[in-house]
Amino acid sequence: MPNDECRLTGTQPPADAQSTIDNRQSKIPRVGVFVCHCGINIAGVVKIPELLERVGTMSGVVVTKDYKYCCSDPGQQMIRDSIKSDKLDRVIVACCSPTLHETTFRNACGEAGLNPYLCEIANIREQCAWVTADKDEATTKACGIVRTTLTKVVHDQPLEALTVPINKRALVVGAGIAGIQAALDIANAGYEVVLVEKEPSIGGHMAQLSETFPTLDCSQCILTPRTVETGRHPKIRLMTYSEIDSVSGYVGNFKVKVRQKARYVDFKTCTGCGACLEKCPGRTESWFERGLVRGKAIYRLLPQAVPNRPVIDAKACIYLTKGKCGVCAKVCPTGAIRYDDTDKFVEEEVGAIVLATGYELFDATKLGSYGVGRVPDVIDGLAFERLLSASGPTSGDVKRPSDGKVPKKIVFVQCAGSRDSTTGMPYCSKICCMYTAKQAILYRHRVHDGQATICYIDVRTPGKGFEEFYKRATDDGIQYLRGKVSKIFREGDKVMVWASDTLAGRKVELEADMVVLATAVVANPDGVALARKLKTQIDAHGFMTEAHPKLRPVETLTAGFFLAGCGQGPKDIPETVAQASAAAAKVLAMFGNTRLTHSPTTAEVDEEICVGCGYCERTCAYDAVKVDPARKKAAVNAALCEGCGACAVACPSGAMTHKNFTKKAIFEMADQF
Amino acid sequence: MTKYTYYPGCTLYTKARNLDICARKAAEKVGFELVEMPSWNCCGAIYNAASDDLAAQVGPVRNLAKASQLGDKLVTLCAACHNVLKRVQNRLDQPGNEVESERLKTFVDEKYERPVKVLHYLEVLKQEIGWDNIKEKVTKPLGGLKVASYYGCLIVRPKEVLEFDDPENPQVMDDLMRVLGAAPTRFDFKAECCGGYLVVNRRDVAKSASKKILDNAKAWGAEAIVTTCPLCQYNLDKLRAVTDGSIPVFYFTQLLGLAVGLAQDELGLEHNAGDPVGFLKSKGLL
Repeated sequence: MPNDECRLTGTQPPADAQSTIDNRQSKIPRVGVFVCHCGINIAGVVKIPELLERVGTMSGVVVTKDYKYCCSDPGQQMIRDSIKSDKLDRVIVACCSPTLHETTFRNACGEAGLNPYLCEIANIREQCAWVTADKDEATTKACGIVRTTLTKVVHDQPLEALTVPINKRALVVGAGIAGIQAALDIANAGYEVVLVEKEPSIGGHMAQLSETFPTLDCSQCILTPRTVETGRHPKIRLMTYSEIDSVSGYVGNFKVKVRQKARYVDFKTCTGCGACLEKCPGRTESWFERGLVRGKAIYRLLPQAVPNRPVIDAKACIYLTKGKCGVCAKVCPTGAIRYDDTDKFVEEEVGAIVLATGYELFDATKLGSYGVGRVPDVIDGLAFERLLSASGPTSGDVKRPSDGKVPKKIVFVQCAGSRDSTTGMPYCSKICCMYTAKQAILYRHRVHDGQATICYIDVRTPGKGFEEFYKRATDDGIQYLRGKVSKIFREGDKVMVWASDTLAGRKVELEADMVVLATAVVANPDGVALARKLKTQIDAHGFMTEAHPKLRPVETLTAGFFLAGCGQGPKDIPETVAQASAAAAKVLAMFGNTRLTHSPTTAEVDEEICVGCGYCERTCAYDAVKVDPARKKAAVNAALCEGCGACAVACPSGAMTHKNFTKKAIFEMADQF
Repeated sequence: MTKYTYYPGCTLYTKARNLDICARKAAEKVGFELVEMPSWNCCGAIYNAASDDLAAQVGPVRNLAKASQLGDKLVTLCAACHNVLKRVQNRLDQPGNEVESERLKTFVDEKYERPVKVLHYLEVLKQEIGWDNIKEKVTKPLGGLKVASYYGCLIVRPKEVLEFDDPENPQVMDDLMRVLGAAPTRFDFKAECCGGYLVVNRRDVAKSASKKILDNAKAWGAEAIVTTCPLCQYNLDKLRAVTDGSIPVFYFTQLLGLAVGLAQDELGLEHNAGDPVGFLKSKGLL
């Protein structure tokens, strides 16, 4: 056993040896240890009486108590009472993970007059009871965890929480339905919102959809009132055709640099008459129409676009690439065309950021056996939405891309890439079962003698009215075939589908006029790039990670960043809207304060020792440490510091330390084992 | 000129002479030499998936051990040999498999000196020589001949071990054909089963499998098919001879040889079914 300065010999010090409030002066600590049973989570494995007995003999511990649920009100009261009656100056709660209840117990200590940062959690649930089967082993381990925490708590210093002012403006990135909803909610509460969208107009993927499940209301009809409201809202500053260049600062005080891409059309002069769109001879791939038709070089995504101003695709524009043409400038009645337009940068200051960067469909050409890019009549779900949409290239008539014939047989393929570890997308894309059923129903509405077959692995309908909608599809004569599709290929003017029928236990070959793939939902690649730039967490598939999967679903671990929509994971429209409103509520809750508190357990520099080598600055993931080149000293911006401790580890001279996590304490803790 | 240890395998000495001859001569034209490994033995023919039947791996292990004494790379051409040798090599050198690997090595007299990288001829062309260098050596471009590249199963699967190309939509041979001046067509059946050994006892199955491949190539407008595997070539070529003579089947090495200027008698066209000479003449390539 190490020589431990808190490991005092002799008997318990008298209760009146020091003040309970003036912790700093405590030479002989008075620690109370409270062991939580967590129902049977802990008590079912760890022998509580034995643990209490062994902990009671540890030096510095003056009282040990246990309770069934320490986090409950009586449990907290027990701790508060004990702090006063036993004159405690340090508290350890042996319970669940600190991510769950550290704040709870620290607040309880604060209420009893103890500095909250003198309360530590010994995690004997996740790190002990849940992962240890043998009771004796678990009890010994719990004892060790408490002893280690005891070593730390006696080193702890009382700290005061930092506060910073809040700039009560919000930035919303992405103006799909998630971004629109979040922006409207925040703006309607009276706060200014900067809404940034990379496309020329807002609405996102929802603007591409035909009708929506399970009610079959028209996507445009429910979306356009929102886009119009967003465009006109006096509190919303809309920046379309713009991208986030950089974000600096910290929660409550971000500085955002937005790049407004060159539109080549003067926003103020243009009236959106559309004369230029008629005459433009330049052709390009149309993202919005999913490659079904060639778009023009000067374009707007749809006639109902908000804002209703076209932009020029510089790569496709004949004038900008070859120096001749100029037709749009000639026909424009207001002279709004600006061939010399350039990208512009705008700086905005905001206090909170909502990331609503959305999704894309997986590039199905990577599914080699499914023939996308090879067989023209194999398309993805969004392309089929455009075929069904009244504002789509066929005005809502279902015509196949290769020859414009009306397909009499369509095979829909679910889980095209999803739920498949070999494609790197083992997750369920969640929306496909429902939208495929919807597309099959809508197809049968349009083509009465059409036959729709849906190849599925499972049909998943967990949502209000979803199962009934699925029943409606099966009642409508839509054939459901359970089995994975192995191959899609062309034979004459037919598309052949090889699949297994796992209910009948045989291989089947289906002949179709057209195939629609429910390709996997993936995080929008631009959103992934932005998340990397902002250093906010993403999971293995590029979806942004919430701070807690159950209790903090719209926050991120980086303070001030909130999540909404499919950038966080695949979800349907109602769920997206609900999440966007939740994110807005979190922003508004923050804006309800005058100042923000920030944990004081940050890094700090001992300037006497620091030589300004800069290791800490390079290590910091939050841009919280900067070295002053003139003074050759590092300085920590406490408002930005998340207290991860990386800089303290990197510091070769030992100048950088982490408050209440000093090297001395850590080494002594390690020595306990 | 870089020299590579070369493992031809039995079929390339018998039925698939036309795969082998052009490969060796074309190699010299594009700038490398295939040095045949002395006293090679059977590759094992089929990779034995039984994990406890180590004796079945002895043949390929001996070949690999001999190759390891000659260098760190072994070039194969027959898709079946490549599949077996690559997978056994993977088993020998796989981290965590040291105990089995040592046992396997004790079965042969030859010492396994070092890990051997088993490379298919196409991999040598792509990775070691490079498409640009091959393009420079093309003296008789293939004049936009519409070619469907047929890979079969053995050269692409299992993906994790063979690490050859996307098993569902491989591209290597298409890229090579483009370099040689041909126009690779789209093709849905690049790696679909040709019927394999079923041609021995279930000829009808092999026939129907091969017919699908030929029909699909034709549907995409292919004028010829290129293959890399003797068994695929056998099934497609022989079936073609009985059902439909309009679409000839070549080994990729034959078209490579043609493009880099081998003489007509060096192409082994007499081993192909039908009238390949007449076909190539009609396209102005001979």
